[in-house]
Amino acid sequence: MNLNPFWSMSANTSRKRADGEEHSGHVEQRSSPARLPFGKKQLPPIPKNAAPITKPVSMGTPTQSANGTHASYGPFYLEYSLLAEFTLVIKQKLPGIYVQPSYKSALMWFGVIFIRHGLYQDGVFKFTVYIPDNYPDGECPKLVFDIPVFHPLVDPVSGELDVRRAFTKWRRNHNHIWQVLMYARTIFYKINTTEPLNPEAAVLYEKDVHLFKSKVVDSVKLCNRHLFDQPKIDDPYAISFSPWNPAVHEEVKDRMFTCKRRPDDHHKGAHVSGLSWVKPGSTQPFSKDDGPPPS
Amino acid sequence: MSWLSRLNPRGPGSRSGRSAAPSSPCTADPETCLMVFENHWRQVSWVLEQQEPSSSSDDLTAVRNHTDQMLCLLAEERPAESPEGVADVAPMGPILELVVTENILESLVQWHLRRGLDPDSQGALLKLFEMLIGQSQQPLLQHTAVHHPLLRLLGACADPELGCPLALENSLVLLLNQICVSMARQPVVLEMLFRAAPAQQGSTNLLIFSLLVPFIHRDGAIGQQARDALLLVMAASASHESVARYISENSYFCPVLATGLSALYSSLPRKIEVRGDDWHALRREDWMGVSSLVLFMNSLEFCNAVVQVAHPLVRSQLLDYLHNGFLVPVMGPALHKSSVDEMIASTAYLDLFLRSVSETSLLKTFLRFILLHRHDNDTILDTLLTRISSNSRLCMVSLSLFRTLLSLNCEDVMLQLILRYLLPCTHVMLSQRRAIRETDLYGKSADKFLSLIPECCRLNPATSAERDEDNALWAKVFSLYFHPTASSGGGSGGGGSSTPTSMEPPQSGPSSSRPLSPESPMHQQQTNTECLDWDSGYLDYLKDSRRGIEFCSWACRDWSAPYDGENPSPNTAPPPPPPPTANPSMAMYPEHFSLQQGGSSNTPPGQQRAAIVAAARSEWSSSERDSGEWDVTIGKNNCISLTPRSKKRSLQREELLPKPIPQLVPSSSSSAPPLLTSHPASSPAPHNPTSTVTVSYQAMYNGTSGQGDGCSDNRDRGLEVKKVKRDLGEPQYLDENANQNGSLVSCSPQSCTALPQTIFSNSEMSDAKSLCPNQISSPSPVTQPTSDTKLLTGDTSNPHNASSDLVESNQTQQSVESLIKELLEQAPGEPQLPGDSNGQGISIEAFTQELRELEDRVKERSRAAVLQEDTPGDSVSSERPEEEPSSGLEVKLTVDPKVEGPVVGLCSPARPLNQPASQPYTGPFMVVLFAKLENMLQNSLYVNILLTGIVAQLACYPQPLLRSFLLNTNMVFQPSVKSLIQVLGSVKNRIEAFAASHEDFPAMLRKAQQYLVARGKVDWTDSPAAVPTLRRSDSLVKSRKPSLGEMILRHTNSPTRARHAAQLALAHVRDGSQSLHSALFRGGGGGGASGLEKQAEALRVKNAVYCAVIFCEFLKELAALAQEHAVTLPFPQGQETEE
Repeated sequence: MNLNPFWSMSANTSRKRADGEEHSGHVEQRSSPARLPFGKKQLPPIPKNAAPITKPVSMGTPTQSANGTHASYGPFYLEYSLLAEFTLVIKQKLPGIYVQPSYKSALMWFGVIFIRHGLYQDGVFKFTVYIPDNYPDGECPKLVFDIPVFHPLVDPVSGELDVRRAFTKWRRNHNHIWQVLMYARTIFYKINTTEPLNPEAAVLYEKDVHLFKSKVVDSVKLCNRHLFDQPKIDDPYAISFSPWNPAVHEEVKDRMFTCKRRPDDHHKGAHVSGLSWVKPGSTQPFSKDDGPPPS
Repeated sequence: MSWLSRLNPRGPGSRSGRSAAPSSPCTADPETCLMVFENHWRQVSWVLEQQEPSSSSDDLTAVRNHTDQMLCLLAEERPAESPEGVADVAPMGPILELVVTENILESLVQWHLRRGLDPDSQGALLKLFEMLIGQSQQPLLQHTAVHHPLLRLLGACADPELGCPLALENSLVLLLNQICVSMARQPVVLEMLFRAAPAQQGSTNLLIFSLLVPFIHRDGAIGQQARDALLLVMAASASHESVARYISENSYFCPVLATGLSALYSSLPRKIEVRGDDWHALRREDWMGVSSLVLFMNSLEFCNAVVQVAHPLVRSQLLDYLHNGFLVPVMGPALHKSSVDEMIASTAYLDLFLRSVSETSLLKTFLRFILLHRHDNDTILDTLLTRISSNSRLCMVSLSLFRTLLSLNCEDVMLQLILRYLLPCTHVMLSQRRAIRETDLYGKSADKFLSLIPECCRLNPATSAERDEDNALWAKVFSLYFHPTASSGGGSGGGGSSTPTSMEPPQSGPSSSRPLSPESPMHQQQTNTECLDWDSGYLDYLKDSRRGIEFCSWACRDWSAPYDGENPSPNTAPPPPPPPTANPSMAMYPEHFSLQQGGSSNTPPGQQRAAIVAAARSEWSSSERDSGEWDVTIGKNNCISLTPRSKKRSLQREELLPKPIPQLVPSSSSSAPPLLTSHPASSPAPHNPTSTVTVSYQAMYNGTSGQGDGCSDNRDRGLEVKKVKRDLGEPQYLDENANQNGSLVSCSPQSCTALPQTIFSNSEMSDAKSLCPNQISSPSPVTQPTSDTKLLTGDTSNPHNASSDLVESNQTQQSVESLIKELLEQAPGEPQLPGDSNGQGISIEAFTQELRELEDRVKERSRAAVLQEDTPGDSVSSERPEEEPSSGLEVKLTVDPKVEGPVVGLCSPARPLNQPASQPYTGPFMVVLFAKLENMLQNSLYVNILLTGIVAQLACYPQPLLRSFLLNTNMVFQPSVKSLIQVLGSVKNRIEAFAASHEDFPAMLRKAQQYLVARGKVDWTDSPAAVPTLRRSDSLVKSRKPSLGEMILRHTNSPTRARHAAQLALAHVRDGSQSLHSALFRGGGGGGASGLEKQAEALRVKNAVYCAVIFCEFLKELAALAQEHAVTLPFPQGQETEE
């Protein structure tokens, strides 16, 4: 019964996806009143909010610098590295995946993943990503499902996904958080049973797929049943779901669809529209000419 | 549509004072009015009906009086009540009805015309009609009975014989204006007027229009009214194809408009009187007082408005005429004028025009002109580029122009300036191409930039302990801005599985839904600092960078390609203009050179232009071929020129020049390439700058404020060099020099072609001699480090190098080697060479600067080397003209080695000596910017602010090709390509060396910071006074304040501090920099130096200290930009057009 409103919502999001919008960050907007000011710019809240939290990290800087990495990146660098990672996530437009850094720390991201087909079809799994504070020089981020999904690679107790098997060594410049998210999505479509965190699931998958499937269905149902629960972590930016309420959501939805991102001070110049008379494919100025004055 | 909105028809109230409006019984009821009217008409018609027009004045008076009354009544009449309330069809009032049926107006006008229209009645009729049309309560013009007589009257005004007396022009234009206003209200009228039988309108179809056209460019209210009226016609005709066709095909509107601009332009001041040392662009308050400029701007604004509202036919014709009738024939040559003053003026004008034009298609016309039009085979852009390297106000004005160009975010401009050179991706190692798209994910580049902040500039004692690590600074900044309490739970390391809760930090942060705003606390912090806390403010830079990048990427969202190293494909990209050695362009202009050769100082004026062009061209071509490195050569005159270095050449040089190299100065101390003033050969010396000239020149010199000093020095000292000049000197000194010398003084990239033979032209000996006297005289801000001087002295022995330079620049077509050989053989005796050099000199101003520099250098040299006693300057000067040719070469040769030494030291570290012929080339713009940047220590404060502002502006562009080139410090470029980080590194070294040699550097640095803060404050406060009303007013205002200045400004928000700062700065202004001088740099000079020397030294020191301040801020800006690029999202294409 709850599902109905819920699915309407998810449909919205997917449609939005289809539009090629990059505003994945907006999807969760409705659930977090705190983000209203966020509408225009995507990223600003993160540094602001994250800053207080990261400060402890900055205190830890000396040790960081001691560990020999050349630059021993200060908090600014850390903040911006994470911001940049988040930017990459947005650019990737991962299908069915939405994340949002927490209000309190840039090192903790809330996310939700929608599984649209396959064994886990209709699954909506909330998760949290924990990024080591010596990022990007540390280990790979952890990804923990709020509710342990029944899956060979998900710890049945903690809900943690076995990320490290995919990123044995976290290599800066090569590994990015969006890859972790992508990986989290992949496991639901391609089941891998080697060295499982959940041996039961692995064995079942190998030996008794039918039972495995039914367990998965149960798991999915369980997750969806708890969809409207309060977020596990109390954070203004935590992702929370609520039944579709036109009074609340319609307007937000409309705004999401109509919202155009513009620079803050786009009024400052007259030629903001960007002048170009270059014909696409050409590198000659004024090649797109429409009857130029002969010279 | 601001223009149209201004055109509110005047209400009746405004014309109460007019004599034409007799007191009327307006309040009377319609019937009474009609009776009165009829009564008047009866009496008038009695007169009119007399067969032969009486010449009696009684009749005339009577008719006039009655007519006045009648038309008043007509004007006052309200339309009859319309039963349906349909406004359009409101029935005529009874009076109007009578007028129409009896064709009263026609009869009246006919009668006047029959009896011969005397100016008096003509004027009276004009006024009457104007009153009628302007005040009428009901639409009149659509009635044939009204507009026919009106056209008849106007036809009389257009009649070649009758014409319109001067005195009536005002009335005529006012009437026309009123007609146009009502036409704008009722578009039908236009159609009717247009269709009216030609008989009524004389030869033209649209009489109103052709009557207005002559007034387009008039001054004052009448011109304004005419333009307003025309604009209304334009707007009304926008949808009338036939009218538009008529305007474009049968009227002179467009040609008059465009060529009128040309005429107006020619009356603009050729020289812009400059007040401040920081002046670099025309602000509104600059030109509001210059009537000719106001006139021009009015017309330009009108063009802009016409383009905005007119029918496409008219618009395209107008643009066409503007291009071919104004830009090409007038603007083009103006930009190539021979005197520096004129170049400065025309450049500043062009900049102003670009900033004032708001219509895209008009802007496009301008940009086409700049980018594509070739004036004597060089594009305007090329010419403008060469001037950045000049060492004068011309440089600042040119920079300002380029800032305007960059601010347009125009793909075509960026393509021509930079991107086409980067497109082939030959500037990066093949393996690095993938990296082009990478952003600074982990702050590496930012870190690198920040690490270049010289130790000596980190003044803040609080942070001094933590200096080694940049992060320490950030930590400090952070702790300033954020609650300490907000911390604690931060990291759950990479350990085992952690429960979410464990990571939860304590709720110290604001729990409200609003995110923390770090800005506010930060600003509070900032305001508490009296001086700038130079470790802080980074957040400001980040914010600014974000804004700048977002704005820029939004503005570029409709570009045709992403320029990411893949699209457009590097392989298909057409090769950019050929680099140095190829130099095809040179081949095209041999004649210019030959012209130049002939001319010594006596070059006929006619040749000047060509010479200039040639000079510019040669500069350009030389710059083209450079590989990103520069050779500095000192001309005979000690003028120095930067030459883009090709590997080949450098090799040869070294071979050729035995001496220079040993004398290399440590890069840090030597100010590398001293400004490249190329000296026009002999001419400079003979012509003495008048005192006024010198002053202006000083002011301009690098924008330093020390002008006064310099002048006084010169005069007082009566140095021989100066003397020589003075003797010849006339007020026109500048112009003459320009003409004769015609040398582009300031172009850096220029190979020494323009070796000016200076005063010292005769021989090395003479050189030395002349130098001695100069020692004393050189008050001018000399940028060169003493080391240079030493080099100079030592180098004199080798003349050949210079010659080689000459050869190259002039005759690139031949193989360099053979040319050099030839030159070496011929050089000493060859008269032609000097001629060449002469031809190149463009500007007098530059020339004077060069002289100054020469003097300075000489003085330094003498100081360093202790040359022999003074030679009488006069003798030297007198000799010059004759000897110049030969001597020029020699001198040049001698000097060159010296300069080169340091340069080599400076630039070369990274570069290999041998380079393949086809070197990657990043284009003249980047090359000249980097050259200028590398020379930061010698640049004046204002040049540096402009310069760094432009580079920062470039760094905002999101195109990966450009972004990676500027900001990716990890990128590996081809060895011949100099990277920004390399350039900055060399600046850093120089600053550190400078600081090390001045023990009071910290104190000076602090004072310089204070001054900058104060200055920013003053600027800020007085800007409101000058509220520009141009459309792009804010950008205009903005143009005054380079971004760095704003940054600095930000820190002064407290009232008391502001006041204090203002006082400081005002004092500075008042005392003409003296106070600052003394305050900042007491006793800057060496112990035994004379006062003048001290001042020169002080100037040098001042530039260096300011440079250090700017440099640090610049690095922060770049670091912030690098970081922000990583977190900026692109804007989807075609998202939205400007509202």
